Amino acid sequence: MTGAIARRTLLAASGTGLLAAALPHQAGAADRKLKIALSNSYIGNKWRIEMENLFKAALQMEPYKSQVEGTWFNSGNNVSQESQQISGLIGERVDAILVDAASPTGLNGILQQANARGILVVSYDNVVTTPAAIKVNTDQFAFGKKLAEFLVQKMHGKGNVIMVTGVPGTFVDQQRNAGADAVWKQHPDIKVVNRYTGMWDSSTAERNTASILPSLPKIDGIWCQGGTDGVLKAFIAAKRTPLPPTAGEAENGFRKFMTGYMGEKVDGLSIGQPPYLVLVALELARRILQKSYPRKDITIPFPFVTTGTVKTGETVFPHLPDSFFADFTDSGPDATVKICVDAALKGTPCPGHLHVRLPKA
Amino acid sequence: MPADPTSRPAAHRRRPRAAHILGQNSGLILAAAILLLSIIVFAGMFAVQQGRLPGDFEITSTVNNTMPLALAAIGQTIVVLTRGIDLSVGGVIDLTNALAAIFLAGSILHMIVVSLLIVLAGAAAGLINGLLVGLGRLQPIVVTLATLSIFQGLAIRVLPQPGGAVPAGYTSFLVNTNRPTALVFLALAALGWMGLRRSRLGVNLFAIGNDPQAAIALGVKAVRTRIVAYTIAGALYAVAGIFLAANATAGDATTGDGYTLTSIVAVVLGGVSLFGGRGSAVGAICGAFITTMIVNILFFAHIDPLYQSFYEGLFLVIAVVFGGLIGRLVRSGR
Repeated sequence: MTGAIARRTLLAASGTGLLAAALPHQAGAADRKLKIALSNSYIGNKWRIEMENLFKAALQMEPYKSQVEGTWFNSGNNVSQESQQISGLIGERVDAILVDAASPTGLNGILQQANARGILVVSYDNVVTTPAAIKVNTDQFAFGKKLAEFLVQKMHGKGNVIMVTGVPGTFVDQQRNAGADAVWKQHPDIKVVNRYTGMWDSSTAERNTASILPSLPKIDGIWCQGGTDGVLKAFIAAKRTPLPPTAGEAENGFRKFMTGYMGEKVDGLSIGQPPYLVLVALELARRILQKSYPRKDITIPFPFVTTGTVKTGETVFPHLPDSFFADFTDSGPDATVKICVDAALKGTPCPGHLHVRLPKA
Repeated sequence: MPADPTSRPAAHRRRPRAAHILGQNSGLILAAAILLLSIIVFAGMFAVQQGRLPGDFEITSTVNNTMPLALAAIGQTIVVLTRGIDLSVGGVIDLTNALAAIFLAGSILHMIVVSLLIVLAGAAAGLINGLLVGLGRLQPIVVTLATLSIFQGLAIRVLPQPGGAVPAGYTSFLVNTNRPTALVFLALAALGWMGLRRSRLGVNLFAIGNDPQAAIALGVKAVRTRIVAYTIAGALYAVAGIFLAANATAGDATTGDGYTLTSIVAVVLGGVSLFGGRGSAVGAICGAFITTMIVNILFFAHIDPLYQSFYEGLFLVIAVVFGGLIGRLVRSGR
């Protein structure tokens, strides 16, 4: 017996034994924690920081605290770096990898290899195209369409619209624009007088709007994928007030304008790509690994508020910065997930169990 | 041993052969040493945490992942040797990556023809840079910054959203996922470099990098040499774009962007002087692998992700300062 153990240590020490590496893996299979890793492409904006904070908070809350051992990595939006980190995760033999990808296609190769080695891959937010990954997302086409339909209704089907688009070359940007264009097509009296990028960033959106605005006629509606508060600030700076009906993202600043901010109040619709997508991905991975949910893609509904439904302290936060994404939590009776603001701000756990509602299996 | 008075002046004139080689290749030797060190550190950390040494998978994925950067770094080296710099790397890789994802399909012959055409497209992009820098007498940094945006724009035109597909057979030929066979292509590239280095063109590259006036006075056709340098570099970026597409099995017109900076990083780590005239593409290949190994090491060190780029930058500064010091030390031995 001792001889066998000595031999095993020897094998492990010499680093050759596949057997040696596999042993601890099998030994605790029944009661060991699930190893779930988050591979995030980019941490340079508030959305991603909130998203990662939610993940950290969830790991300290039940049921994840006792069932999941989580790690997270960022790759500076660099595909080859994210790919290299994922190969590291494969080397570590994790059970599942959650991916917010730097490119919808750039990681396909390595994710296929992960899948072939029995690792569950769940891709969310900026999803990948390979069938080797299960996808968790919102319907981006519907996002653009819903924003556009809101404007059509507010403008009674007539007038000038500007479109502030997202990061060119991304699937999300392309889909959201296509959703809007599908609506404009049905309403020929709506004229898109300009279309420029805001890069999903408030300050870029503000700068670009400020430079383009002088050349534009009266604007009757703003369609904005991201950086909505920046666009509105540029309108105020150019004295284009009162603000036209605005359909935009879930920036706290935009929602402040919906309740009255900087002396202006805007009639708006605010839809968010929720940072809690990561929690849905985490829950899905846990349930699939525990074999209590089928392996399938999930689309979750958008959280949205209008000027009529926005609520201070729940969906808009006057004391938090404008760039904060106010859709870190869902609201209402059918909420996908409800979590406290500290989880999004600091990554600290909230009291109680964390319950993530997945669509019916 | 008492000195022989007759041999003394000769010994002063010529350094011993070993010291000479060391002095000439200090950058390359240092890059190889740093690479070796980083591999040892990585393997050690891996063995401690995983109870085994990095195996086929780890080696293969590291090699496959580094291929595009290594190729781009060779191209960048050739430009940097002429006292130039090429920021359009990212744009050319974007463009060729997009072309590869769209047009690679069908029979083997078709794929070979398409691949060659893509390499030609890259060479054409490089030629534009070369003409503007060489004939236009414009500063390389300005020219290539402008063409970077132009090529990026074209790439998005070609492939508006990520997609396309690279046939599985093509992928496994270039970047076999089971064995690091891609090293063969790297060895070919290194051989090509050695051939170039000994050719008339290679000598001219080094000459105009070291002292353009003197080179021109000696009859080196500086303009033509520059144009050729940028063109070859463009062709190499195209090969990088093809490898990138093969690795991902699909295309994305923005994934090449990062290579502008990382190719310069690899070149610097590889001991190539940004002042021109000194360096080796083999060093740049080592530099490319060092950057990948840094990512690997930080991964297994489980550094807080928020500080990852901080440490990457720190390692880079240390490597460059260290390299500069050693290089000076070796040269001061003259």
